[in-house]
Amino acid sequence: MSTTHGHAPIQESGQLSEFEVLELAVRELAIEKGLFSAEDHRRFSEWAESRGPHGGSKLVAKAWVDPAFKERLLTNGTEACKEVGLNWLEPTGQGTPSDYTFFYVLENTPKLHNVIVCTLCSCYPRPVLGMSPDWYRTPNYRRRMVRWPREVLAEFGLHLSPDVEVRVHDSNQKSRFMVMPMRPEGTEGWSEEQLAAIVTRDCMIGVALPRPDWTAQQVPSQATPSQAKGKGGRK
Amino acid sequence: MSEAKPYEVLLDALDAADERTDTALQCGERVPAPWESAMQATCECLSWRGSLDNLERRQAEDRLGETVYSRFPVHARSVVVVAHSLMDRSVIDQDELKSKMKEVRARLERE
Amino acid sequence: MGRYKIGDRVTVRDATTLFHTRTQGYARGSTGTVVDTRPEWIVPEDEAFGILENGRHEPFYVVRFNQKELWPDYTGFDVDTLESEFSESWLMPAGKERK
Repeated sequence: MSTTHGHAPIQESGQLSEFEVLELAVRELAIEKGLFSAEDHRRFSEWAESRGPHGGSKLVAKAWVDPAFKERLLTNGTEACKEVGLNWLEPTGQGTPSDYTFFYVLENTPKLHNVIVCTLCSCYPRPVLGMSPDWYRTPNYRRRMVRWPREVLAEFGLHLSPDVEVRVHDSNQKSRFMVMPMRPEGTEGWSEEQLAAIVTRDCMIGVALPRPDWTAQQVPSQATPSQAKGKGGRK
Repeated sequence: MSEAKPYEVLLDALDAADERTDTALQCGERVPAPWESAMQATCECLSWRGSLDNLERRQAEDRLGETVYSRFPVHARSVVVVAHSLMDRSVIDQDELKSKMKEVRARLERE
Repeated sequence: MGRYKIGDRVTVRDATTLFHTRTQGYARGSTGTVVDTRPEWIVPEDEAFGILENGRHEPFYVVRFNQKELWPDYTGFDVDTLESEFSESWLMPAGKERK
């Protein structure tokens, strides 16, 4: 270990960070050694970056308006995904190494609230939700969600009554999970697209509930005030 | 498991970058730098092609990140630990990595 | 098919292993109920060594634990549960504890 006193970090030269250099060096050496190809890497980046939680939102919205689809989704998640154009086998033809192809949708009810976590690493249903949020991968979340779930949910602003079962799903094996929240009141007659917009990423992880007045497309400070000011909070 | 020792080439990288200042792992709102996504793809490729399993890497990140590389920022763990693991397995060596970093830097800073 | 069926009470073995495992420390020694079964999967201990072709395949089960049984000082409520998946060899019938 370095015994030098704590000097101020040396300025990064221009915009180039040392870690960026290290990343490129490691990647290029791996490619030179034949561990994988540049094309492999490009494909993974392209694929990962084109994912978002929209697939999951679509699944939930469709299930809300179509009971037969909901049944299929709950019975065989992997197959039902294909109906909205999501194939768990993309892009490598065998599922990605950390995205196994057993997909289960967990339905919330008035007496049951589901939430997902992976304590061992940070398994996440990427084909339907995209890349996981940073906090999902932290030990803070991974370690504490299984142990103190109500406390952690409260930190996200979610308080559930004592008679609602909080069921934590630790996805330690090959299955991937996603939460299907309950359709909130105030969305009667909405189209599937309108509904999909309020099924945000966090609702499908299980740390939030969908609300008719919130889509993650808005700037929070510009959204219609809701519970904070009580009723009639419209400007 | 034997006591892990840090690689000098990686510690040097830290001296030239930002040292970790937090003591606890925070759930930050920080925006990841583009190289972090590239690193993620590298990890996926290594796991996919059978060189370094994702779970094994994550466990090494937790283990080494809290010990020999504890001064590194958390978001740099993957790159540091992947480099460390590849050197441990003699897939690459320190001198190779050093000169590759020099080469990359020169290329990126070329006017 | 596997040895356990839905509704069976099972205890997670408290084996220490030198091998790569995906059985969480906190679940070991705990008793829960089988609530679902999964297809036969390759066991992680083999998968970790890249023995994908000839690795051992085993039935997997979803086990549900009462949080209060999992953590003696659990701070939530009686209704709270936790589910996770285990390979058959990590489970034994409840009541036969002490390996």
